Amino acid sequence: MIKYHPSKQLMQKHILGELPAGLSVAISAHIELCDQCGKEFDMLEAKQASSVFSESVENDNHCEFEAMMESITEMSMFDDLVPQSPEFFEYQDKQVQLPRAIAALKLGSFINAGKVSRARFELEEGPLRSSLLHIKPGGEIPEHTHTGFELTLLLDGTFEDESGEYVPGDFIMLDGRHNHTPKTKDGCLCFTLVDNALHFNKGLSKLLNPIGKLIY
Amino acid sequence: MVSLEQSRDCRIQKGKSVGMQETPSEQLTQALIKVATHADKKAYAYLFSYFAPKIKRFGIKQFGSEAMAMELVQDTMTSVWRKAKLYHHDKGAATTWVYTIMRNASFDALRKIKSNREDNLSEDIWPLFHDEQVCEKSFKDHLQSNQLQEKIRNLPAPQRDVVVGVYFEDMTQEQLAQHLDIPVGTVKSRLRLALKKLKVELGEHHD
Repeated sequence: MIKYHPSKQLMQKHILGELPAGLSVAISAHIELCDQCGKEFDMLEAKQASSVFSESVENDNHCEFEAMMESITEMSMFDDLVPQSPEFFEYQDKQVQLPRAIAALKLGSFINAGKVSRARFELEEGPLRSSLLHIKPGGEIPEHTHTGFELTLLLDGTFEDESGEYVPGDFIMLDGRHNHTPKTKDGCLCFTLVDNALHFNKGLSKLLNPIGKLIY
Repeated sequence: MVSLEQSRDCRIQKGKSVGMQETPSEQLTQALIKVATHADKKAYAYLFSYFAPKIKRFGIKQFGSEAMAMELVQDTMTSVWRKAKLYHHDKGAATTWVYTIMRNASFDALRKIKSNREDNLSEDIWPLFHDEQVCEKSFKDHLQSNQLQEKIRNLPAPQRDVVVGVYFEDMTQEQLAQHLDIPVGTVKSRLRLALKKLKVELGEHHD
């Protein structure tokens, strides 16, 4: 069962469209996997819509609006819907259906480092980097803290860290207060979003710090 | 409209807009249904006069520009007309449908300003139709798989040795210096060169 969900504040900002694209993509993907959050989203969005459209506003553009309306109703209407065709992602001999918001993004090339492979989504959001990450069975990311925040949305497989085990759909938000050592027994596929380089804490893995930004 | 539909719709409205009495949700939803079923221009005029000034105010708040706010009205109300047939009143009130279209158009416009991207992601992030879409997706070249290891293999040998030593054999820079019988400073500078080269090859502009 999914145990980790976006916070109320995040959900509200998502509804307002105020979050960076990478974060809204992750929340949308979580909603696709989590009925409970889907219902909450529908309820909160309807409430927000009502409130935005409830206050009366003076209309000082009569002429301009009139002309706009006429030109719009001259246009033809769309009649057809085509079914949304699911997109699959292949990794480690498995096919995983990607949530719609993630499937819509353009993915760069994969780079591999040991058991970890990652590719960046081309979102161009400055220091925010969204990636697709997969880890082979038995793989582990050395203990690290986050200089900013790190969001992981598990899409397939499982992994565990000091806080327990995670299942697909779990929306795991960590910041500088947490250090953890995620590892996976059977391999996993994740959407990740980090806003700064990971900082590795222990022994030899400290050497990863200069290249950490490149890999994770 | 058929009276049965009206009463059903009314029940949904009550559930969706507790405490928001000023919004004539039911009339708006009925008007949208008329636009959807009969391309009814009078019903559309009612929707337009209700929503357009409010969308404009929302746009001014979002963009701080009257011209962009008017563009948002144009984009939103065009979609309300053109996509009306795809509205299902059992999936939500007209206000929610219009809000979704407006928020999406505004998100795409802001993204264009901030990241200079015209990827119109909003419809996939906040779909108007949960299982369907209105147009075909373009083919995406997802999985060209460039290997980091291959890039490393192609580095000049002295640089490759330090990268492999440090990142794949977990040696410290000092151990590596001893092992290769070179000064630590040389290890560092080779490593720096190698990382610089890898970053260029792997396209750090994606980061």
